[in-house]
Amino acid sequence: MADKKRYGFVIDVSRCIDCRACLVACRVENEVPLPHTRIWVKDQGLRGTFPDLAREFVPYNCMHCEHPPCIEVCTSGATFKDTDNGLVLVDQEACIGCGLCVEACPYDARYLDPARGVVDKCTGCVQRVERGEEPACVATCLGGARMFGDFNDPSSEVSQALARATQVRQLVTDEVDPDPNIYYLNGDVMQTGLLPRLPRYTTAETLWRGVAIPAVIAGITLSFLGQAVAFTKQLIEGEQEFEE
Amino acid sequence: MTRIEHHVSRRDFLKLGGASVGALAAGAILAPPAAAAARQAGFLDDAGDGTIPTMCEMCVWRCGVLARVKNGRVVKLDGNPAHPHSRGMLCARGQAGLMSTYDPDRVLHPLIRVGPRGGGQFRQATWEETLDLTAQKMAEIRDNYGPEAMVFSSTHNLSQVQFENLLSAYGSPNYGTQRSLCFNAMVTAFLLTYGVEEPARNYDSVKFVLLTGRNLLEAISTSETAELMEAVSRGAKLVVLDPRFTKTASKATEWIPIRPGTDAAFLLSMIHVIVTERLADCEFVKKYVTGCEEIPAAMSEYTPEWGEAKTGVPAATIDRLAREYAAAGKDAMAHPGWRTSNFMNSFQAERAIATLNALSGNVLTPGGCLVAESPEAAGIPLGKPPQPAYPRVTSMRLDGVPWKYPLVPLKLGIFQNIREAILTGQPYQAHGWFVSRQNPVLSIPDRARTVEAMGKLDFIAVVDVILNDTAWYADVVLPEASYLERYDPLNIVDHKLFLRQPVIEAQGEARSALWIYKQLGERLGLGEFFQYEDEEDYLRQQLAPLGAELQDVKYKGYLEVPAEEGDGEIVFSTPSGKIEVYSETLAGAGFSPWPTWEEPAAPAPDEFYLLTGKVGQHTQTATQNNAFLHQVEDEPKLWIHPAAASARGIEDGASVRVTSPIGSVVVTSLVTEGIRQDCLYLAPGYGHASKGLRLAYGVGVSDSDLHVTYTDPISGGQALSQTFVTVERA
Amino acid sequence: MSHAEFIPLAERKRLRVTEIKKHNLANILTHWFNVAMWALLLPTGLAILASPRLGIVPEMWQTLMRNIFGGTAHLIEFHYSIGLVWIAVLTFNILLGFRKYFIPFTRERMFLDADDIEWLKVKPLQMIGLAKAKHLPPQDVYNAGQKLYMYMVIVGTLTIGLTGLIMTFHNLIPWPWLIRWCLPIHFSAVGMVVAGLIIHVYMGAVFPEEKEAFFSMFTGKVSAWYARRHHAKWYWRKMEEEMDWEDRVLAEGRALKVDESAAD
Repeated sequence: MADKKRYGFVIDVSRCIDCRACLVACRVENEVPLPHTRIWVKDQGLRGTFPDLAREFVPYNCMHCEHPPCIEVCTSGATFKDTDNGLVLVDQEACIGCGLCVEACPYDARYLDPARGVVDKCTGCVQRVERGEEPACVATCLGGARMFGDFNDPSSEVSQALARATQVRQLVTDEVDPDPNIYYLNGDVMQTGLLPRLPRYTTAETLWRGVAIPAVIAGITLSFLGQAVAFTKQLIEGEQEFEE
Repeated sequence: MTRIEHHVSRRDFLKLGGASVGALAAGAILAPPAAAAARQAGFLDDAGDGTIPTMCEMCVWRCGVLARVKNGRVVKLDGNPAHPHSRGMLCARGQAGLMSTYDPDRVLHPLIRVGPRGGGQFRQATWEETLDLTAQKMAEIRDNYGPEAMVFSSTHNLSQVQFENLLSAYGSPNYGTQRSLCFNAMVTAFLLTYGVEEPARNYDSVKFVLLTGRNLLEAISTSETAELMEAVSRGAKLVVLDPRFTKTASKATEWIPIRPGTDAAFLLSMIHVIVTERLADCEFVKKYVTGCEEIPAAMSEYTPEWGEAKTGVPAATIDRLAREYAAAGKDAMAHPGWRTSNFMNSFQAERAIATLNALSGNVLTPGGCLVAESPEAAGIPLGKPPQPAYPRVTSMRLDGVPWKYPLVPLKLGIFQNIREAILTGQPYQAHGWFVSRQNPVLSIPDRARTVEAMGKLDFIAVVDVILNDTAWYADVVLPEASYLERYDPLNIVDHKLFLRQPVIEAQGEARSALWIYKQLGERLGLGEFFQYEDEEDYLRQQLAPLGAELQDVKYKGYLEVPAEEGDGEIVFSTPSGKIEVYSETLAGAGFSPWPTWEEPAAPAPDEFYLLTGKVGQHTQTATQNNAFLHQVEDEPKLWIHPAAASARGIEDGASVRVTSPIGSVVVTSLVTEGIRQDCLYLAPGYGHASKGLRLAYGVGVSDSDLHVTYTDPISGGQALSQTFVTVERA
Repeated sequence: MSHAEFIPLAERKRLRVTEIKKHNLANILTHWFNVAMWALLLPTGLAILASPRLGIVPEMWQTLMRNIFGGTAHLIEFHYSIGLVWIAVLTFNILLGFRKYFIPFTRERMFLDADDIEWLKVKPLQMIGLAKAKHLPPQDVYNAGQKLYMYMVIVGTLTIGLTGLIMTFHNLIPWPWLIRWCLPIHFSAVGMVVAGLIIHVYMGAVFPEEKEAFFSMFTGKVSAWYARRHHAKWYWRKMEEEMDWEDRVLAEGRALKVDESAAD
């Protein structure tokens, strides 16, 4: 019986130098087509006036949330949280390219690959992890800002980093908190102005949910009731072998 | 001749792609020779998939790379944990490296110019024709004007030893490298002070790091950048002197927005405080530093108050930092810097840095921060092919070394002076230029002047992987195989000999520099200087004294060479055997023997310092056409302070015209608090004029259209920040 | 039932044993083919809908179907494969039998007339025991209710097929918004047909008056009695055709006899 893992990232904001090696490494490792990307470094911009200045960079990618809005909305169940390792993944052969998950993700971490008509996103470089390597972005991080590992294992690098850290934050707000599995160290400087945003639900899905489904249920119920009444009447009046 | 035909027919057989469009077909039907060799070496499986160790070439740091190969294509590059420069990581450029190899704009066939020079019209030719033509032209120049009429130039690379072999065998003294555009000030200063070109830096226990410029978090040297971040995270104090709020400054404990050109003043003031207050490691200084008794007197005028007047930094700050630096003792590091081509007095700033380190006793001491050891001193005896003695060179060099610049090491030279000499014809007229892995049209200040100089030459040959700006002006282009496609001579890093080997079959007809130089050499009648059959034979000859098998080195990617046990005696390779803060050599040449203050030029009230620097996503002018780096780059803009901008009615993002004494450019502005009011900054590397670079062409502007050419008389280094400009709305 | 015409007992007995062909083989096969397709498509299609936010389909069903087909991808593959087969066979049949079957079928059975409209107002009331006094107009081979259902099935099938095609070939469609709209439209069309299907199944298989109709979907035949009662227009038209045919045969026979006697 294998222990369940909860893979996630710990990112030390004070150590990101915006070198963008992670952006390129991810693209190459996972053959992400231009101009899409599975990973970002947010430049929070220059704060202050000369010469009292500050500038921080916040790397992020799919947060592999504990309560992912994307899974909530996936039509076919193509996106799922792997029960063995906690990563949120997309079975691209089961994805029908409706893009509802792209709209729902509060971190805009997903994109629709136009060439294949399916959704793509960070997979935690599961193909590398299975080989015993770190995700590409983590392995190449020059500043040592990125860490990846199993939160369920208290001896893992990420667990230990969390245990001894101060200023641990997630990119969440009061309105939006899917319990993401990227924890930020030295994260008090992070601004949540842009992320996370409210999950978006499209008109098509809203109408589906709010109008079409109730209408269909009503129609079928009516239809069923109608024939139930007729059937009951039929049973009460008894069958007539011969009509007059 | 038979050999050439043999190679050509094999190339034809494997020919992929046409003239400058060389996208590699996915998967070769036949096993390419490189893959066969790799399989033999043991790291490709039967399907041709596997991982091959080699070395990056996206910058000069040359990280070790583990290249993952699938179906005859490189699919991922990872840092080699065994290489001291990568330690398992690669920067953005290293990660993007395969996109340079697979760049559709690569030159994959020899090209011969048709139409006017700079018109960009070439015809594809065979290697035979192109090499014959090149050799013929070079021979003509040698026969008619003497070998000195041929200029050879190349930027630091692994096959440089054979490039130098070629030019030495040819008999030309005119060797241009990028060094005078980059680090002449640093190397000359440290050679004179410590007897080594560049001390290595050890961050293991550093507590105080003083960076003078050296934007380590954007001018990325993978392992050193990581080590600095490690030290800062550990709690080391980082002090950054920079007129601009770089990303390095953003991680600094203290950022000092110092007035440009006054680094030396700041450093001399620090020295003053340390020696006056007797805060130095006196034991070390007495034992190993010349003139230690006289240092206080020599530094007496450089008080913190004096420093404040020069630098704009408060005297109390200078005083405090000097004390903090001294208090860290051997765990303090005044970083030597790297590109130190800022002002004419940059040499003196470097001398001051060397002195600061000497005072803290951190040089060559166990656990100290600076390891004054050069690779040659590592004592690894590499073999080389047998060859006759070089012909004697009787003519003087065009760059004025050493007859005009007695202290500039021959190895460094003064590149910009070669360009001037070509233009003026003084002391004699050059007639040809052979360029390899270098882009002087964009890197030497005053691009128009460089192009004009090229107009004076009979013949220009360029070895490159892509049609960069200098190749655009060439008469012949010789396509070098990319670093993922070729062997290069062995590289020594920290008692390990690293190998660059092909990971995939070279595309098109591209060949290694080792092959190109040999082919040329043979045609010039210099075959005796190139006694190797092929690249592998060359490497075997290099390994011979070490008794190692090439096969083993190929498999591991490197060879460990046990370090020679030193006797513990610390000796500096200077005339006195000590650290020469007082330099008799400098005195003898008529310069100040002490690190000294030289007042720099300053801009007029309506002028600005034009700063240059580095970005973490590109390497000088080499990588702007790489699609993956193009994707992650910032749009190149001109930084300007809000006060300066509003005074000129410049809004953020507006087009502005920057004008210098030699030219003017129009560029997008970035209004930012992150720069001094008297400074502007232009992101380097852009402004390519070669239409052969379809992604890079027309993006941004080049400061080579603005920079006035200045040369420091002591080190021969450029002074790139000494060009003052005006700016206005365009 | 009242207002039905009065038919003597002997005639009724004769009518009950006389058979008329109501459905040709094409009709029968198409019908059961559709039944089979729906039997495969409806359960699998529902099982695909895994969105917790929609929450329409019980998880047990989703899991069961995924287990049977070996995962979501294979379940979807199965669903759209059957869908493609459905579209292909229908299209092929219509094209192949366009002249012989499709045109006549359309002409005879597709359009509503005044009687149909009136029937539509009266019949539902009578089914729940009201309006017993009203007269029910005569109906053609398909009564108006069946025609309405046919329209719904045709529109439904076309909609389901078109949206299904778009979703199947989503990798060729560069507009995700189109795929997103296909989802509720596909679903609604299916729902509409299912609602109608419930009535159709009841009326065809359970409602006692239509027992013969149910069996006619296997044998193709109904009794003349049934036809005259429920599809009077069609019955009388069939009688006309038969009488015309008989007249023609007799006329030809007489002509033959004349020829024969003339030849003697």
